Order: sequence, then structure tokens, then C-alpha cells
Amino acid sequence: MPNESNPAPEEAIAAVRGVDKTFLDETGRERVILKGVDFTVRKGEVVVVLGPSGCGKSTLLRVLIGLIPPTRGTVTQHGRPLEGLHPSAAVVFQNFALFPWLSVEENVRVGLTGRPFGAEEGTARVKAAIDRVGLAGNERSMPKELSGGMKQRVGIARALVSGPELLCMDEPFSALDVLTAELLRSEVYRLWSDRSTGLSSVVLITHIIEEAVFLGDRIVVLGANPGTVKQEIPNPLPHPREYRDPGFQRIVDRIHDVLTGVHLPEEPAGSARAETAVLPLPPASVGEMFGLLEILADHGGEMDLFAIDAMTDWDFGRTISVVKGAELLDFVDTPKNRVLLTDAGRALVAASPSDRRPLLRRQLLRLGTFTTLVRELAKTPDEPRRGEEVRALLGTLLPGEHPVPLLQTVINWGRRAQLFDYDVATDELSLYAGASSDDTLA
Amino acid sequence: MKFSRSAARSARFERLGIDLLLLGAFGALVSGVVVLAGRWHAPIRTAVEIDLSPLALPGYTLLSLSRGFAAYLLSLAFTLVYGTVAAHSKRAEKVMIPLLDIGQGIPVLGFLPGLVLGMVALFPRTNVGLELACIVMIFTAQVWNMTFSFYGSLRSIPAELHEVARLNRFSWWKRFRTVEVSASVIGLVWNSMMSMAGGWFFLTVNEAFTLGGRDFRLPGIGSYMSVAIERGDTRAIFWAIVAMVLMILAVDQLLWRPLVVWSERFRIEEITTGRPPTSWVVTLLRKSRLLRRLRRTFRQARRAAAQAAPAAAPPEAAWAAGAAPVALRVLTVAAGGASLAACAWGGWKLVSLLVQVDAQKWRMLALALLSTAGRTALALGLAVLWTVPVGVLLGRSPVWSRRLQPVVQTAASFPAPMLYPLVTGALLLFHVPFGLIAAILMFLGAQWYVLFNVLAGASAIPHDLDEASDVYRVTGRGRWTTLYLPSIFPFLVTGLITAAGGAWNASIVAETLLYRGKTMETFGLGTLITRATHDGDFPLLTAGVLTMSFALVLLNRTVWRRLYRLAETRYSLNR
Repeated sequence: MPNESNPAPEEAIAAVRGVDKTFLDETGRERVILKGVDFTVRKGEVVVVLGPSGCGKSTLLRVLIGLIPPTRGTVTQHGRPLEGLHPSAAVVFQNFALFPWLSVEENVRVGLTGRPFGAEEGTARVKAAIDRVGLAGNERSMPKELSGGMKQRVGIARALVSGPELLCMDEPFSALDVLTAELLRSEVYRLWSDRSTGLSSVVLITHIIEEAVFLGDRIVVLGANPGTVKQEIPNPLPHPREYRDPGFQRIVDRIHDVLTGVHLPEEPAGSARAETAVLPLPPASVGEMFGLLEILADHGGEMDLFAIDAMTDWDFGRTISVVKGAELLDFVDTPKNRVLLTDAGRALVAASPSDRRPLLRRQLLRLGTFTTLVRELAKTPDEPRRGEEVRALLGTLLPGEHPVPLLQTVINWGRRAQLFDYDVATDELSLYAGASSDDTLA
Repeated sequence: MKFSRSAARSARFERLGIDLLLLGAFGALVSGVVVLAGRWHAPIRTAVEIDLSPLALPGYTLLSLSRGFAAYLLSLAFTLVYGTVAAHSKRAEKVMIPLLDIGQGIPVLGFLPGLVLGMVALFPRTNVGLELACIVMIFTAQVWNMTFSFYGSLRSIPAELHEVARLNRFSWWKRFRTVEVSASVIGLVWNSMMSMAGGWFFLTVNEAFTLGGRDFRLPGIGSYMSVAIERGDTRAIFWAIVAMVLMILAVDQLLWRPLVVWSERFRIEEITTGRPPTSWVVTLLRKSRLLRRLRRTFRQARRAAAQAAPAAAPPEAAWAAGAAPVALRVLTVAAGGASLAACAWGGWKLVSLLVQVDAQKWRMLALALLSTAGRTALALGLAVLWTVPVGVLLGRSPVWSRRLQPVVQTAASFPAPMLYPLVTGALLLFHVPFGLIAAILMFLGAQWYVLFNVLAGASAIPHDLDEASDVYRVTGRGRWTTLYLPSIFPFLVTGLITAAGGAWNASIVAETLLYRGKTMETFGLGTLITRATHDGDFPLLTAGVLTMSFALVLLNRTVWRRLYRLAETRYSLNR
């Protein structure tokens, strides 16, 4: 981001500087959603914010247009501090956010609330906006009669009816089927490039890499936990863009690399990490990790990370979590973008379902998180521990992590390995009662 | 480092304390039941002397509570049988469900005189007859929504669960226990809570009333209250209110909260919305070492028993497969025949009573109906006027809505007739005419149903619509007309339907009031019914009850059903 960090103020339609945003989670702990984020929307560009789910990209959008205040940092519009809502921004929502009791026309008219247009001009604008998104003839329809794609067209018409300068789109295509999403993507580009509406810039929030490259002039990659700007990637490809174009693929690959760097940092060679270090667990289930190992085994024990991503229906963040989990358990190794099956991984794939259990258990007991927990639970063998106690313990072991999903992962892994028993109804964790004598604590 | 030694010791003391507490509670429960059982043999006395000292109140409260529970057990048994039969027999369903619908709507209080006379005739020497009559009256206020909920749950059990039961050759009993009851527990617990609360409404009347000059009275908090009202003893009224609130709170905390928490494990949907309910009683019980041991012993005993008697299931399964449907069919036919006969006899009786009502009295009934309808509309209007703005503002804040829910629930559980004398006294100071006061009294009980539903509706306003309204600057009045009012409309209609039923029924006790030895009354259907009861004028009583039932069913079929359909089609949030 070196050369883009300081644009002339009049060029910036909206900008945030050094923004932090924290929320209180359900356990009353402070969760940092955004940390030190700088982000600018300039005149005449489509900027895409890309990141895995939970990285705070929607929060960034809401701070940018003044829907929620930042915890720290400044928000500006046209170089002036933002007061209240951004004066010329409109939003298209992921789940459309149409009023079910209003007709298409009335829903679009909501976009004109409080704008200084006379009755006549208002009506003309509503009609024009509906025409522009291809819904002429549906003015009197109710939202529930429309397909998802048509509903989102109403959402876009409502956003454009007041002639905003900045159009914000929060995962606008992710509630639609693949074909409809594709069609709407091209139309959004067409609406933006046809300058007659006065629309200058678009901010698009997405987790789909191809969507980002298809629409974005500039792609801002966010990392999660807490959300920070990892990199800004300019996209000079001319329109119309083609998915199979080699230039398109090069940018997709570059984003892949950035995301991989965010999620799977290279470890120092020779695996110098202490065997029993307490490390955070990625939110992946044992079933998914075993699935990954099977896929790898079917492909000769070595695959490209993106090939794996393409084979599964997980989004990229999920793929990364599963690979990370398998790596933590030493079932795979990840030099660069390659994923290799280790000997332990091969042994597991070859084992029968019942033999997998001791193998998994052995790997789990090499992790500090599990040995500490087992030791703690063994202190009072016939007293189950309540979930809140365990979460508190995990909180002291791994202060940076959210204890609720962490415990869910611990339970998922530990149950499959028959290390723990967990009773959902009472929220109690105990050592597995029927523990065989083999290797509970090696 | 995390679980220090002293903490462990204090935890052990805590557990010991919990166990002792549980043993104490159990002992108290057993001795309470023994004492209560003895009361039933008390010889019948009309006009039991009620002791107005506050010291007598705990005893009276427990007596009333035991009646409420007895009625609840009756409701539960009725619900399980009626709901199961209605859900399993297509033919019976066609009769049973409309019957239930009518039962829910009619003013049950009108049946009290007949019931009491019948019961006292059955048990002329002991209190059993009066007790039973009182319990049945509470039962008629409790049972309807429980049965509807159970029947509804049975009908909505996923077909796959039934198929699993059949594939695994579940016996009739096992299917009932594992599939049907499990699927309906959550709804049943919530509706039991509502029912128990609704059952208290007419307690002051059910426990103490006069019929044809005879004074029937059972010792209980209801008759304590009615005596206090009659004498205008404000202090006693105050103490009775306190006792009632404490009883409602205790039942909620000790019984319903734990049951709600327990019932959560029967949730079929796998996603949980919001935070799960909690209960300090359940937390206590979970910490108890004694209970854990008992549970373990029980589990071991069952396992041992299962091993001792290995799977002898086939004959039972065969019986279930063949015989149960036959038994059910025989039962249905028998029940159908019996109810037909009863209907015929009842119809004949009814006609013979109604012919004694002359045209002039019918005209009076019609006018009274209009007068009470006006009062009901006024009561509902008042309720909407304050609950909609307040409910929306509070319901939109998750914190406030969570905090207020138990308060509103308690307020709704409190039998409003107990407050009538205080409110009437206050309003009389301002020279409000009693015709208007009666409407306000009807509003007292009805408002909570509306508020409760508006709160629920406001907290269900989708976040994205709220955000869209922010983005597009829909504020002030526009916000109310485009977002809030349409969003809560379906909830408001549901609340109003319940409130309207409550208000009509309440007119029977609100339009005539004995206050400080003086009878106040205003012209209306409620007054006519009360007076007919008092005078033992059965033809007029029957005609009055029939008129009110007819009006209620008519209103349901026309106004409410239409509004409900509008809510479901246009204002539903299921997009």
C-alpha cells in the first residue's frame, strides 16, 4: 500500500484512518473486530474488500458510511470528518432487506426518503430506476412473488434511485444461485460504467476471489482475528474481463498467495516448535480433516492448495482451516502452496475406522492444549467440569482466542479420539468414561 | 493454579448445602401433600369463616395452589388423551377440533352454577363436591391452549420420525413416549405455563360465590380476597396481592423455569437462536452430588434389569401392531357414540330452558351484548394505545426486552380481578362513571397479552430491515408506518385475539362489583349473567352464556380470522 496511502483529500469519497472496532461478545469479553485499518474509496473506482468470513469486512463497510461508530480512529467523507450517515452513499444488502409489505415501487421509493425531490420528479426517478434494473412491468409486484435475483434488482434500484455517489454492496450475490449471480455481476458493472446515474464509486464486500477480480479496480485483502488490511492489489485488466484469461488467473493466483500467507505462515524449517506448546486450534472438524486426507491419498499424497479448494465446496477460509488443523496434528505438511501427506497421515488413511481412534488420540496428546486439559480433568476423575470452567481455563491458556468456538473444536476432536465425554444438555466435560487402558496419558 | 485447594473445599461445602436444601424441600413437599389430603374429608359447610389475618394467608395460598395443580394435572391428562385421539383419528378430528375451538371461546364462568349444584348433589356430606367443582372450573380455564399445542405438535412431527418408529417396530407405548411426547414437550411446557397463569384469573369467583341465595365458599386465597373486598379491608387486600405475587414467582422459579431449561433438550431444530434459557434451580440441581449418585444408581439398576430380562419385546410389538389400532378404533366409536348421546340430551335440556326466556328478555340480552361489545372494544383500544409504542421502544432493545419479559409474564399471571377493588376505589375518587370503570377493569387483564406480543414482535424485527431504514433515513413517523407497525402487525393480531377473549370473559366479573358492602353494576351481558347466577335464574343464565358464546364465535369467524389472514399473507416476515 505504499503509494496509495495518502491520496489528495478531495479525491477520497470516503475514508477511514487507524480504525479499531471492538464488540463485547456473549461471554462479556472484548472482541477486536478491526485493528488499525486504513481504507479509502476514491472517485471513479470499484474497490473490493476481500476476506474470509469473520474478518470484519461488513463491519468496515458500516463504519465507513457511518452506520456504526468506530471505537478508535477517524472516518471522513470528501476530506471532512463524517457526521452521522455519509451524505451520498447507498447500500445493497446480502439478504436484500426489502420490506415484505411494500410493493416493488414502494420499496424503491424508500430510497428517496428525505431527499429533496418533488412528487413528480420522485415518481420519474422511481420509474427510471426500475427500468434500469430491468424490472419494468413489475412495479406492483410484492417482494415474495419475486425470485432472489429479481429481489436483488429491487435492492439495487432502491440504492440507485437517489443518484448516490457511492454504492456499497455487502456480499450482494452470495444469496443467489451461481448463474443469477454471474448475470447480476455483469449488470452491476454496466450500471457503474454507464455514468448517467451520477454513480462514481462502488465498494464491494465479498469472500469470492473470482468476483473480486471480475469487478474490482483495486482489491483490499483483509486478514481475520483481528481484521487488518493485509495487502492492496491493483487490478488493471481491461473490461470486459474473462475468467479464463491468463492475466485474470495471474491476479487470482496472487490473491491466493496473499491469503495463504495470511493463514499458513511458513514455519521455521525442522519444525522447531515445542511438542507440547499450547497452540490455537483452527475451527475444523475431524470429519473434514479425514476427508482432506482421503482426497490427498487419492491424488498420490500431494496436491496444490487451490486444487483442494476447487474440489471441495468449502470457501477458501474453510479450506485453509482444515489444512491448518491437519497440519497441527502432523497429518500433512505445507511447503508453500503444496499440501503433502505425512507418514502419520498415510497411516491414518490406511487404518480402519476403529484403528483411527488411537492414531488420532496419539496426535492430540502431542498438543499442549489437550495434554493440559486431560491433566486438569484427571485431577477429579469422577467430577465432570462445567463448560464455563473449561472455557475460563482455555481463556487463560490462549488469551487471544475466542473460547466458545475453541471449546467446540476441542470437544469435536477430543470426542472423536475418545479422550473426552461431553454432555450438551448439562454443558459438562469429563474424561472419556470407558477409557481403554492403552494410552490415555502416554 | 486454576482450581485452587480452598476453592475446592468451598465447592464441597456448597454441594453439601445444596443436598441438605434438596432433602428439606422434599420433606416439606411430602408433609404438605399429606396435610392437604386430610382437608378433603372436612364436612361441608356453606360460608366457611375466612380469617383475614395475614398469618392465615400462607395456608390459604397453599390450598389454592394445590387446587391449581390438581386442575393442571387434570388438564394434562385431558390434553394427552384428547390430543392423541384427535391427531390419530381422521374422523374424530373433524368433531374434536371445532369442539375445542368453541370450548376455548365460551365464557366458562357461566357453567359454574350448574357444576356446583351437580357436584354438591353428588357428594352431599363432604367438601369433595365443592373442591371438585372449583378444580373443574380452574381446569376449564387452563386446558384449551394446552390441548391445541399438543395436537399441533403431534400433527407437525416429521414423517421420517414416524417411519423410524415403524421400521424399528416401536410398540404403541414406546412411540407415544419417545416420538410424540418428545416432539411436543417444548410447546407443552410453554403452554402449561400460560395455562397455569390463566387458571388463576377467576380464583376469587371460583372459590367463593353465591348461588340462589346460598353462599358457597372454600378456604383459599381467592375467598380471602373476596371477603376482604366485601368488607373493604384494604390491608387484607394488600396482603393477598403480596401472597399471590409471591406464589406466582415461586411457581415460576421452582417449577416452570427448570422445566423450560429441561425441555430445551427436545428441540428438533439444530440451530439455536439467541441464548439458551437458564435457571438457578437447575444449576443447583446439577451441582448436587446426591442427585448425581441417585441418577447413577438408577441407571445401573436399569441396566442390570435390562440384562436380567433380555429382549422379550416381540409379543408386545405384535400386540401393538395389530391390537392397538383396533382398540383405538373401538374407543373412538364408543367415545363418539357417548358424546352424540350427551349432545342430544344436552340439546333437549337447552331447548327446554331457552323456551322459558321471553322475547323481551332476548331484546335485553341483545342490547346488553352491544353494551359489553363496546366496552371490550374500548378495553382493547386502551391496551393498543399504550402497549404498541412502549412495547416497540422496549422490544427493540434486546437488553430491555430480556429484562422485561419475566416482569410482564408475572404481571400477566396475576389475576386482575384481585386488583378490581383498588382500581375502582381510585377511579371513584375522580367520579368516573362505573360503566367506564368496568371497561378499564376489563383492560387491566387484557393489556398484558397485547404487550407481551408486541414485545415479541418488536424484538423479531429483522436487523437488515432496521439497517436499511437507517441507510435510507427512514425516521420519525415514516419509520413507524414503513417498519415498526407492519412488522408487529401479526403479533398484534395474535395478542388482540387472546386479549379479546379475556376481556369478554372478564366482563362477567368486571361489570358487577361488590365493593365495601355496596354492589356496583352497569348494564351489560356480564352483569346479566352474574345476576342470573345470583338469583338462580337458569333460563336467563343459559341464554346469556349462549349469547356471549355466539357473539365470540361470530367475531372469531369474521373479524379476527380476516385480520389473521391479512397478517399471514401481507405482513408475514417469512420472505
